Amino acid sequence: MKQKAAKKGIGYGGKSLKQMLVERERIYQETGFYYGLEDLPLQTEDPFRLELLHERLLAAALAGRETTRMVSASPQVRETAELAVVLYTPEGDCIVQSTGLLIHIPIIGHVLRWMIGQDYEEEEGINDGDCFTSNDVAIAGMHTADVYDIQPIFWGGELIGWVGTVIMEAEVGALLPGCMPCDATDRFVDGIKFTAEKSAVNDNHLRSFERKIRLDTRMPDVFLLDRKGALAADIAVRQEMKKIVEEFGVDYYMKAIRELIEIERRTQLERVKRRTVPGKFHSPSTIEVYLANSPVPPHHRVDRITLVPWDFHIKPDGSYSIDFDGTGDWGWHIHNCTPSALEGAVSMILTQTISTTGKANHGTMLTVDMNVPYDTFVNPSSAHLAYCNQFAWPLKGGPKLMVQQSHAFFCRGYVEEVRAGNTMLCAGGGCFCGQDHLGNTEYSFLATEAAGAMGGGAFAIRDGVISEAIFQPDADMGNVEIWELMLPMLWLGRRLMPDSCGYGRYRGAYSLISTWLIYQTPMLALTTGPSAQTAKIYPNMGMFGGYAGPNSFEKVLTNTNSKQLIMEGKPLAHGSYDDGVNDLEQNIEGDLLVETRNGQWLCIAEDGDIVQSFYGGTTAGFGDPIKRDPTLAKKDLDNQLLSIKRCRNMHCIEAKYDEKAEEWVIDEKRTAEMREERRKERLAKAIPTQEWWQQRREELLEGKMPHLIKKMYNESLTKGERWPGEFREFWCLPDRFTFEED
Amino acid sequence: MPEISYSKEVIRDLIEGKLPWSRTKSIISGYKDEDRFDKYVEILQEKVPWSEKILLPLTDELYIVQKGEERVVKCSCGHEFGDYRVNWKLNALTHVRDTEEELQELYPYPGAPEPEYCEIREYYCPDCGALLQVDTVPFGYPVVFDFLPDLDSFYKDWLGRPLPQEKEFKDLSSEFIMKKWLKE
Repeated sequence: MKQKAAKKGIGYGGKSLKQMLVERERIYQETGFYYGLEDLPLQTEDPFRLELLHERLLAAALAGRETTRMVSASPQVRETAELAVVLYTPEGDCIVQSTGLLIHIPIIGHVLRWMIGQDYEEEEGINDGDCFTSNDVAIAGMHTADVYDIQPIFWGGELIGWVGTVIMEAEVGALLPGCMPCDATDRFVDGIKFTAEKSAVNDNHLRSFERKIRLDTRMPDVFLLDRKGALAADIAVRQEMKKIVEEFGVDYYMKAIRELIEIERRTQLERVKRRTVPGKFHSPSTIEVYLANSPVPPHHRVDRITLVPWDFHIKPDGSYSIDFDGTGDWGWHIHNCTPSALEGAVSMILTQTISTTGKANHGTMLTVDMNVPYDTFVNPSSAHLAYCNQFAWPLKGGPKLMVQQSHAFFCRGYVEEVRAGNTMLCAGGGCFCGQDHLGNTEYSFLATEAAGAMGGGAFAIRDGVISEAIFQPDADMGNVEIWELMLPMLWLGRRLMPDSCGYGRYRGAYSLISTWLIYQTPMLALTTGPSAQTAKIYPNMGMFGGYAGPNSFEKVLTNTNSKQLIMEGKPLAHGSYDDGVNDLEQNIEGDLLVETRNGQWLCIAEDGDIVQSFYGGTTAGFGDPIKRDPTLAKKDLDNQLLSIKRCRNMHCIEAKYDEKAEEWVIDEKRTAEMREERRKERLAKAIPTQEWWQQRREELLEGKMPHLIKKMYNESLTKGERWPGEFREFWCLPDRFTFEED
Repeated sequence: MPEISYSKEVIRDLIEGKLPWSRTKSIISGYKDEDRFDKYVEILQEKVPWSEKILLPLTDELYIVQKGEERVVKCSCGHEFGDYRVNWKLNALTHVRDTEEELQELYPYPGAPEPEYCEIREYYCPDCGALLQVDTVPFGYPVVFDFLPDLDSFYKDWLGRPLPQEKEFKDLSSEFIMKKWLKE
């Protein structure tokens, strides 16, 4: 009988993408080398040619990113550069990445592998000029607002790679306006979804795709223009890629991209061995969710604190292992995490702390192993969760890797690479909806003004950098004038908040505070930004005696007399804070509302009301604060960033202001005395840890702790395998101990 | 590529934050000096007032040192915290910052941590009163063992010079509590 010839696949060499993916995985498992590349023939034969190819690919990704910025419409792209462009192998493995929103690099790869697994090649069809759009976190993603636009790259009829662009959207058509609605507690209401859908053919967006966006989002022009920008970038990169392949030859290209990944895998292992010290690190983290009094479905009205222990192991072979054993339950809220998001967080940290040569790719991540227990907060079992603030934990927990790896750098002597932590995305800003200053009654927007400029933790040899953001290193806060085009608000002030650092021998960065006048709208509903989910429990970010800095807050003043003050030419508020006195409450009359929790409804404001956001990033300090060099403190005093009260209290530094010279003068003698006194005070007030342990153990056994904390521990004691044993052993508790809940 | 190496003076200034920024930046951006660890330890050994050999700088104040056949954690002032595999915080002094006044010092704005839920634990050296670590953790969380180095793998596999008297790579903190504290 005549056998039917096997259908030729669209992948390289006529294989199907599925075949390529299975083969790649099999060979890696069998050999331990990416595509079995025990030898590196291209690098051995002509390392310069390989290097040239890499640089050309990198330049294409970077140029593509700039193209998107210029074509896109939203301030998130134009002003704060919340985007990135990445090149992938046919199997979805990252080859090179642009600068930008680095957290998405491995995640887009997961989307590609999902598409391959779902047989898109056969069922959907993958053709030159197609674009696939995805923002469905049930596949992979960071949150609904981050939209991926992905194009295949063909050569000679065979798919030889993919280019992907990520852009964050400010509005996604969810239950509530803005892209991160805090009350959208399941997937059915958290926004427009593109489940890796074909959105363009022959480089033109499908009309059905555009119609869907027009009807299902509140600001379709912005959403669509961002899609155009992303598609333009993808096309530009694809065209450049074809030039590169033509120049180098397709066979060389395919061998080279695999070799680049294997080289990076080996290099990363070697870097770890040369820069760090092996061993085990530990640090806990929490996520707080307060929905008991929120307008969500009755069965979702739950307050909860979830524990996420972070165990990090640098192994003798140079690989990293991260274990989330002991993590508590997932829940019906928008902050749950997924394994792919955790990979994104790890990739982002490694790219900026150890794999910093511009060659970070899939090979970097091949050296990282993670245990993400199923049916927990970090690996939920339901496919129907809302994920519009999924990055809460990656950007709050992710810095733990930075701090722990820093500890290893410190032990090895590379002190210049050491930095304490900070919550990588502070709250502040928030979702605004209602009517805008142009009369649009379906207005909706998320202001991420300071997200890319929140400031970082201290270094081991210098103070934290003000207005940087490690999750997006080349971003900034954008021009006020551009934000004002999109928001019915006028900026009254944007400044650094005094005393807002984490104290230490080196301090964390000071954080920003913005003050706005609500402008030309009769109704603007406000929520706080649902970001790091820190309220009662601060993150453990300080190093060697440094403290975590303050967290965010928001204030709203309604029913104000601001218009009268303007008419009379009297002072308004600009965000000035001086030892408890602030110009918002001092200068303007009105009804004050203060919120310190993330993701909460504030109120409805109108023309003339005032909103103030403090973007506290909990930027942590390094070292004992009383060992701070007085000249560094003087600099902060002179810049009015540090109050003399805290200079004395936290650093034990005495100084007097010289009115004539207009500067602070350090009293070195008194400073030395104060520091000696502080050491004695410490020894007098502290107790041996054993005594503390006995007291605390009694309290635990008697259940003297808030209900939410008991519930948090009970979840982790029930879910975990290793962590519960460690917890019970430390407190000498019975084998099956759990807390009795009220 | 030529081997990168910096003088002890440069590394000393770098550690102490005294190196000019332009130089520091070039060190951050450049290839790393592979002989850093030994020079680093030599510099630190010269700074401390005691003679035990530093095996690993653990923090800016604490060191793991060779003391006879044991490896112990030692403060720069000379105070010893015991076996490096027992969390040194168990043998330190503890202060929990939980009064409103103490929290206000750190967090003068709305949204300070709540002491019922969050402990800000300060660990001091019992001799010199140096603040060695601040842990900010949920109420009732076990004392955090920040880092247990795998010293033998480090010296044997990564530096190529094994340490004498190999020790099992194991966290002995809970054993220490069971044996010493529970009985008392």
